[in-house]
Amino acid sequence: MSLSQRHLALLLIAPGFALVAALFLYPLCFSLISAFTGPQGGFSLQAFAKAWELYSGDIVFTVVIVVASCLLTALLAIVIAGTLTLGENRYIVGTLKALYRWPLFIPFIVAAQCMRTFLAKNGLMNNTFVSLGLMEPLQAVSFLDWRGIIATFVWKQTPFVALLLAGALASIDRATLEAGRNLGASRLRVLVELALPQVMPQLLVALVLSFVTMLSVLSVPMMVAGSQPTMLTVDMAFRINAYGDYATANALGVITYLISAGAAIIYLKRGMSKEGTP
Amino acid sequence: MRIFTLACSLAALIVASPLSAQTLNVASAGDQNMVDYVKDYLGPMFEKAHPGVKVVSVGTGPGDAGSQKIYEKLDAQKGSPTTDFDVVVIHQKGAGQMVKEGLLAKYTANVETAKLATGDAAKNALGTDVSGFVIPMFQSQTALAYNADMLKTPPATFAELADWVKKNPKQFGYNGIKGGMSGVSFVAGWVYAFGGDADKLIKGPYDAATKASWDKAFADLKEFNKNAVITPGNAGTLDMLNRGEIAIGPVWVDMFYSWQADGKLPPNMKLKLVSPGMPGQPMYYAVPEKSAQKKLAEAFIALATSPQVQADGIVKKFNWYPGIDAKNLEGKLDKAAWDKLFTDVTPADLSQNGKPFPIAPYFNDILEGYERKVAN
Amino acid sequence: MIRVASGFRMLLAAFALAAFAFFLIGPLVNLALWSVAERWYTPYKLPVVYGTRYWEQVFRPTGDAMASLATSVWIAVLTVLVALALSIPAGYALARLRLPARAFFMILFLLPQAFPSVAIYINVARVFYQLGINGTVFAVVLVHAAHGLVYSVWIAAAAFAAVDKDLELAARNIGASPFKTFTSVTLPLAAPGIVASGIFVFLESLDEFTGTFFVGVPQVTTLPLLLYNAAMGGNYQVASITALILLVPSVLFMLFIERFLRADVLAKVGA
Repeated sequence: MSLSQRHLALLLIAPGFALVAALFLYPLCFSLISAFTGPQGGFSLQAFAKAWELYSGDIVFTVVIVVASCLLTALLAIVIAGTLTLGENRYIVGTLKALYRWPLFIPFIVAAQCMRTFLAKNGLMNNTFVSLGLMEPLQAVSFLDWRGIIATFVWKQTPFVALLLAGALASIDRATLEAGRNLGASRLRVLVELALPQVMPQLLVALVLSFVTMLSVLSVPMMVAGSQPTMLTVDMAFRINAYGDYATANALGVITYLISAGAAIIYLKRGMSKEGTP
Repeated sequence: MRIFTLACSLAALIVASPLSAQTLNVASAGDQNMVDYVKDYLGPMFEKAHPGVKVVSVGTGPGDAGSQKIYEKLDAQKGSPTTDFDVVVIHQKGAGQMVKEGLLAKYTANVETAKLATGDAAKNALGTDVSGFVIPMFQSQTALAYNADMLKTPPATFAELADWVKKNPKQFGYNGIKGGMSGVSFVAGWVYAFGGDADKLIKGPYDAATKASWDKAFADLKEFNKNAVITPGNAGTLDMLNRGEIAIGPVWVDMFYSWQADGKLPPNMKLKLVSPGMPGQPMYYAVPEKSAQKKLAEAFIALATSPQVQADGIVKKFNWYPGIDAKNLEGKLDKAAWDKLFTDVTPADLSQNGKPFPIAPYFNDILEGYERKVAN
Repeated sequence: MIRVASGFRMLLAAFALAAFAFFLIGPLVNLALWSVAERWYTPYKLPVVYGTRYWEQVFRPTGDAMASLATSVWIAVLTVLVALALSIPAGYALARLRLPARAFFMILFLLPQAFPSVAIYINVARVFYQLGINGTVFAVVLVHAAHGLVYSVWIAAAAFAAVDKDLELAARNIGASPFKTFTSVTLPLAAPGIVASGIFVFLESLDEFTGTFFVGVPQVTTLPLLLYNAAMGGNYQVASITALILLVPSVLFMLFIERFLRADVLAKVGA
């Protein structure tokens, strides 16, 4: 039985695997070969040395940006999903429900486009604050740097995480939550201590997927922020477009993949140590 | 209503799209305006003259990245009998590379108008001999754009600019070297100004030891950057100028004019081409070696580089400098349209301070030197 | 007293909601403003001249916005179907069966998202040219499906994992075959999550342009390609309008899907 189940499992996963193998694994081999080949041919780590030498700052910058964006996204998504589940004022819940999803539909490149005119020093946001009298014109600063990238990522990814999280929260046993409320716990405590632990796996899936997505977006860092420092996707594009240097670009790609695989492994380990399923 | 339209077009798509007898695929590395130029202006004109031919115009994105994509696509098709593209519009760097790798056809002998373009740009692309493979579509130039309200007398040289930026921190912006060629051009201009012999960088021959002599220029540029704003790309610089967030920055002259015409720049913006000069470059028409429609492609390029089209389309509509020699346009254009091109940057400025980009190996050295010594 | 306190809290909540709405809607309003701004420059805080010139430009007779839109939507729908067809068995295997090297497979599906490189698309294009399928909708759908598969596989796996095993056991006990159990118990219970993952695959496909360029252009052109050119080139009006057009199918698709997800909608998603 056990053997046949393993076979069945492999059989079921085969079509999906075949697609990814044909369209990514196979071409990826060429990329890996180019990343590990020196200028004179033969195995070499030269491309990685160059990637590190020129872009070490950008590697750190990228990780910091993505991690910070994920944390902020998680926080906001928890607030939104928590309000949707535990909120008692139906106007607020209704408004929130109608609103929060919209950025989900905006492609990254459009989000970048929106943000670069919204967050600029004299952009719509600062102009609104100035017009409302909340701020003096001279105090206006531009957010078109790392803050702009984070803001765009959070804006775009929060609905995604919140959508998955709200769904998960809606499915947990209401009775425990009601009991908690009846015992006098505040809604915040119910959310943090009773509800969240039950939906941790869903939150983590959503965050890992967001993490990977943010890591691979080119348009946002390219359009929202200046190029020093910048994210790895921009460097990769630059390596290819300016020098036709695929080796270093691929080395950067390998580094990016290792970063996201790291995030995925942390998630998978946690899931497995728990109960064998995520 | 929209759902209805959507459903209709979806249905139409599924039923079938009638194919024309012949399709001419034109790929342009450039901004949307270049794609639209072929789609709305050249394409219909060509289709009228050649009934049964359909011109399809696709864009591959602005800057060298767009040319690189065309190169990659042609390279991927090396093993196929024909290529997807019949006419390509590419930058100098891409042209040099494609000629070297044998991806382009030597076609200009078959096109009469090739004789009208005799400038250096028609023969030499960043040190690669491209004569016979390309005809310039237009020339463009970078210059500093400034807000005349915020800045009465703009700096006239790179040295004056450096001083001015020191006194007025965060009023100058450029995009570094990523995300747009206007910043690259500024950096190249900086090296021309402070890195020693500019002529050698433009004409060659290449000497790998030269780059060591730029160390001081790069160190100064790093210092200069502390008081400069790094903008997100060509459009980013223009955008910040538009919002009054910076007072001066390097831009492409043609982009500047079309932004101004579109009302995306204040009317009081002006251009200044500082000495010892900033680079400009042409866009090229070329034909892939394995194009299935070489005859049509040549006819298309002949039309596109004819004096009348260059006058009406290139100069009047888009404010580009013509690709063929200017004297061929005489009589085809009213004086006002011609003068508009040279309002801020005079022909004298252009001939003195409009430079080509450095030859490819120096070009790469400058970019990598910048990454190594200025950015990281 | 309590009333004052709760009134105050209400006010606070309303204020928080308003601030939230501003940051959420602000960029979108900005987008809408740009789409009708004919002239807008400093020091004006709002467009100087409004008009529909750019809308006319996008929808001009020689423009192919509507045709590209139709192609984009058609490709996105097919991509969802392909991705779901592949991810339902894969997700089930990952969640329910004793699959060897499970973590390896999970991370493998992450690959197309996580290794962002045009180098890969060039090689894919090379293979497709040899097969003669480059420039077809089919080729573009395959590339998009591989790219979006991580969403559908990961979420489907999670959705299957969340289905109560006791229900499956009960079905088996009353004599249902494993396949029958799957189609009549497991799949319907996991369906909301799986269907929801379709939204993300759909959006992913509508967002993609690099792969489309290499395997589709010039025979297949999609709206995001147009958007990419306009946005990169700084043509804010055309980019904004294109973006607004793209919003329509996304929202319609979401509404369409939502009808299949009743009250407990996304209850099981990602569980």
